[in-house]
Amino acid sequence: MKPKIAFFDMASCEGCQLAILDCEDIFLHILDLVEIVEFREALSETAPRFDIAFVEGSIHREMDAERLRSIRARCDWLVSLGACAYNGNVQARSNALAPGENMLRVYGPEAYHRTQTDPHYWPLWAHSRVRPLSQVVAVDYHLRGCPVDREEFLQLLKRRIAGALPRVAAQAVCVECKRAGNECVFEHGDTCLGPVTWAGCNAVCIGGGYRCDGCRGLLPGANLAAHRELLREHGLSEAEIDNRYRLFCAEEVAEATA
Amino acid sequence: MTSFLANEQALEDWLRRQAERHEVYWPQRMGKASYAFQRLRRRSPLRLDRLDDAPASKPFRASACVVPPGRLLAPMQELLYRFEPDDDGGYRFIPCLDPTERLIAGIRPCDLKAIHLMDAVNAEGVPDAHYLTRRAHTTLIASNCLQPCDAHCFCEAAGSLDWREGADVFLTPQADGQQLVECLTPRGEALCADAGFSPCDAPEERRQSAEAHRPQPFGRQFDAPLVKVMAAVDETWDSPVWDKHVERCFSCGTCNLVCPTCYCFDMRDDLDIEHPGCGSRSRCADGCMLPEFAEVAGGHNFRATPAARQRHRVKRKLAYLPTQFADGSFCVGCGRCGHQCTVDIDIFDIANDLAAASEAPHAADD
Repeated sequence: MKPKIAFFDMASCEGCQLAILDCEDIFLHILDLVEIVEFREALSETAPRFDIAFVEGSIHREMDAERLRSIRARCDWLVSLGACAYNGNVQARSNALAPGENMLRVYGPEAYHRTQTDPHYWPLWAHSRVRPLSQVVAVDYHLRGCPVDREEFLQLLKRRIAGALPRVAAQAVCVECKRAGNECVFEHGDTCLGPVTWAGCNAVCIGGGYRCDGCRGLLPGANLAAHRELLREHGLSEAEIDNRYRLFCAEEVAEATA
Repeated sequence: MTSFLANEQALEDWLRRQAERHEVYWPQRMGKASYAFQRLRRRSPLRLDRLDDAPASKPFRASACVVPPGRLLAPMQELLYRFEPDDDGGYRFIPCLDPTERLIAGIRPCDLKAIHLMDAVNAEGVPDAHYLTRRAHTTLIASNCLQPCDAHCFCEAAGSLDWREGADVFLTPQADGQQLVECLTPRGEALCADAGFSPCDAPEERRQSAEAHRPQPFGRQFDAPLVKVMAAVDETWDSPVWDKHVERCFSCGTCNLVCPTCYCFDMRDDLDIEHPGCGSRSRCADGCMLPEFAEVAGGHNFRATPAARQRHRVKRKLAYLPTQFADGSFCVGCGRCGHQCTVDIDIFDIANDLAAASEAPHAADD
């Protein structure tokens, strides 16, 4: 029997699910391997149980956490799909601010004051912190990146069905830059988070002429002290450096420096 | 072996004619300050060395060439073989060998020595058919160095500045604006046979008189002779030098991946999604500075710290491999690792510090 897989989304742009749908040239082959039983972005059916759940998005409210626990209870294997689910992504920046302060900054004083007077308004915004999935339930595998890489998704699917797992090396984006023969971003005067970021993207942004902003998350054991110094030497202020880290790795940097 | 003199235009035209018949690679500008060995196309710029080149106007630099030319023989990633089910319930393996005729020109002596060393490595033990097939179909044209490539260069100190072995054709610019074309192998000879260059009787003198224009010393020099540096690297196990040079290290593996004598690889099997039961095995360049390189089943890591990995890397270049093979240092002094490292960790400094530490009065007590 083909394994049943399901896709779910929490707080996210749903771009990772779109990246999966971008496999359309081989989608029929994928359907030879698995049965998709729930996927709001692609079909209307829902399912009580499934073998593999792919969950996109971060957890903000208790009701999201409850939903995630229910998904966990209904699957054998749970995969975080993309940066939001893996490490909280850009929305985890708000963890550095009190929820009220955040509200005021983003939506202005009128909305802020309404939270004080309208009992139906505030709960929509009153989350204490943005959490990656792993802070709520056990996660069996991570597909990192913003968005996820479709090749990595396919590798995982093929391996999992064959009873194995793909090897995802804990190594920096620099590895893939060198394999691709890219000129180092620092060489052409910009700064880069590649030396402290999980590889797996084939250095796609740098190959495209940009830099690495760290969307796949901080490498375990990353030498942040040396990286900070390097960014400083290339003219970034402390505040700019904090901002660069917080863009995609707010939750991880908070943990690494706690 | 025959030698010729050719004017710059004739040599350029000859190279471009080769490009009509084979894949010709030439170091070309990439990004802001780098080079890459890329196919020579009709409109690709091609500028040969000149005797009066100032250090700043040297047309292509080994250390600024991110990927060394030897990687055309051992690509960063390559398919090794494909497999598919056969009729007897087993598998059929289809090796992927690449017999494309290639000509790599613009190779500096340091990278030429590196290719020579990789020839030995790939022929030893179980011969690497993938490398050797490419190598058998590749012609090498090297360019003499009359100026150091940049501040990172230490090829003279590493003993590779005057390396010529392995080149089919060796070019040296001359005072009269011509190029000395030395054919060093029958293949080089055949290549130049109908080129229309003028024969040259005294190539040795001509090359040496051009080399007299080299600055003295040529690039960075160790504080001790190379043999002493290599002995110090060989003899040093516990030393604060290893720790000193990894304080800023990211373990990103750049130094390995750009090194012309690093050849370690990782393998991966892939299953086809379109053709069930079929798949392939491929490999990609790996590096001993990467944290998981020496990790084994069960999670034990033989070199868990950056300092232990750095020691291994430096000893591979200056002690272990030179012991296993002839021809001296496996560090060819191209300066790539130091140039490409974002935090300026340089094997030259490490080796020099080790040599200095072993010369220090109390070294024997360590």
